[in-house]
Amino acid sequence: MKTITVSSGKGGVGKSSITAIIALYLARKQNKQIVYADCDVDAPNAHILLNLKEKDFYEKEEIFASEKATLIAEKCIHCRKCVSEDICNFNAISWNKEKNIPEFNKYLCEGCGSCSLICPAKAIVLKKVKNATLRIAKTSYGFPLVTAQLEIGESGSGKIVTEVRKRAEKLAEKNKADLILIDGAPGIGCPVIASIQGTDYIVAVTEPTPAALHDLSRLITLAKYFQAKTGIIINKYDLNLKMTEKIETYAKEQNAPLLAKIPYDERFIKSLVWQDEILLQTLSETYVPDILKAIKSIQSFSI
Amino acid sequence: MPKTIAVTGGKGGTGKSTISTLLAIGLSKEYRVLLVDADADCPNLHIILKAKRKLLSEVKQTIPKWDFSKCIKCGKCSQVCKENAIVFVKGKYPIFVKEQCIGCNACRIICPTKAIGKAEQKIGAIYFSEINSLNLSNLHLISSEMLITYEETSPIVNALKKEVSKFKDKYDFVIIDTAAGTHCNVISALLGVDFALAVTEPTPLGAHDLSLILSLTKKLNIPAFVLLNKANMAKSKAEEIKSIATQFNTEIVSEIPYDKKIFEAYSSANLEKMPESLYKPLIDFIKKK
Ligand code: SF4
Ligand code: SF4
Ligand code: SF4
Ligand code: SF4
Repeated sequence: MKTITVSSGKGGVGKSSITAIIALYLARKQNKQIVYADCDVDAPNAHILLNLKEKDFYEKEEIFASEKATLIAEKCIHCRKCVSEDICNFNAISWNKEKNIPEFNKYLCEGCGSCSLICPAKAIVLKKVKNATLRIAKTSYGFPLVTAQLEIGESGSGKIVTEVRKRAEKLAEKNKADLILIDGAPGIGCPVIASIQGTDYIVAVTEPTPAALHDLSRLITLAKYFQAKTGIIINKYDLNLKMTEKIETYAKEQNAPLLAKIPYDERFIKSLVWQDEILLQTLSETYVPDILKAIKSIQSFSI
Repeated sequence: MPKTIAVTGGKGGTGKSTISTLLAIGLSKEYRVLLVDADADCPNLHIILKAKRKLLSEVKQTIPKWDFSKCIKCGKCSQVCKENAIVFVKGKYPIFVKEQCIGCNACRIICPTKAIGKAEQKIGAIYFSEINSLNLSNLHLISSEMLITYEETSPIVNALKKEVSKFKDKYDFVIIDTAAGTHCNVISALLGVDFALAVTEPTPLGAHDLSLILSLTKKLNIPAFVLLNKANMAKSKAEEIKSIATQFNTEIVSEIPYDKKIFEAYSSANLEKMPESLYKPLIDFIKKK
């Protein structure tokens, strides 16, 4: 079983659409058993692209992946140790003068436990918080989708991504799947690292803009750090041919081969706006064979 | 006191960076404007504005440092580390996995023999730019950039906000361009702003992500307004966006049509050449606010 992550430094370059058409093609045309994992837990949207309805989800689970400090006020002996320097490195504790107790900012607390360790009165406890809902659906394309939505105002995206991947792996084992296909998070921070760590192959999607190239280079550096084989797709390449050339040169320099150049194709937007399955299918047949061929011929990686 | 506005969007690629840059350019014709790039993962505004970045400060994080001569191999440090950054095997000294460490103090506090001290690691940097190249003397840019392989963006965004607060009084407007999504770093960027502009597009994804970001601003008690980008892309979906805005007691304050010119100006880093008429209603709205 292999794991492939489709990622992009910058958001909005077409990462999710490209993940979706790859999945469709592998499932429909090559009869592969895949598990689709949407790891963009901040703003998951594979379920929208795949036109899933509430009834398609057969499993739902709440995830408690992080903790936050809370005060048991009766126990506090007002020693102020928790607000002294070198305890909370995240500015999450302030002193409430009127009540003579510490106050915790739940948006800033990382749940590290330092304050609770220093408190001589055991007045600070870490409470698990629900930070996401994970859901599994059966899609009309035959493969299952594992997706999770970060609870609004919560943090810990990286941990949730790890949960999504764990569930996807379990499911893949059960189904004897050939492949886990991950729709990665945008950026290069915690959720992205969690989504590319330990994957066999990374498809980096970009577009011909200076900003996207800049983000791509950050993603490639990260991928190298994790020693993951990486290939690049330039989406909407014909919108700026000069920039596309620049990206190609960059790809060469980095030894990250160019897998495909996809033109600006209005059908992508249409398939998105109208959640049109037939259009998505057509798109997958138009673009995916070349991508798979390239991965195989250049990097002798077959899916 | 300047007015502080966050431009945010939930989803990436809705044109957040374009909008915040245009807004900053437009306002700077009359006011002193500080544009803040809070997308520490993937900062872009200096590229869009062709600005030279000058290093303002480095963002450092305190990490543990072991003095094994004092270590009694008890393994407590490993037990308390919530990030699994300390691996402990019985009878051996603990192994530190630097990449996982978020720089708290838990291991230092628990160590019974004071074998753990402090070291510093660089995690990012804050830059300042004047936009001379475009002759926009009233516009300054401050941006943050996280070191690659480092995980947590919020400490960098917090450091960025600290820098901003040092000299924000020199400006009439502070415009913060947040990262995509709704997690920690976006929250850090949103906390304390006067209001937020949520940039979205008329697609099912845009609608979905708009409701996420509006729930977040509601939770944080920040007034939010909706800006519909690429408005002409799908008329009927625009209605859906409208009803979401109404649901959250807010409104679409401006619509910007989809125009190939915008993408071209953006992709060749020539935003200042964009016809002002395309975004004038937005500027007028912000001025009135
Ligand atoms: S758990 Fe850690 S981050 Fe949260 S308040 Fe305590 S010391 Fe600060
Ligand atoms: S360390 Fe514990 S007892 Fe002391 S002020 Fe803080 S919460 Fe209260
Ligand atoms: S500082 Fe915190 S995160 Fe880092 S190793 Fe120590 S306990 Fe773990
Ligand atoms: S807690 Fe201190 S003494 Fe115990 S293993 Fe860790 S460093 Fe060594």
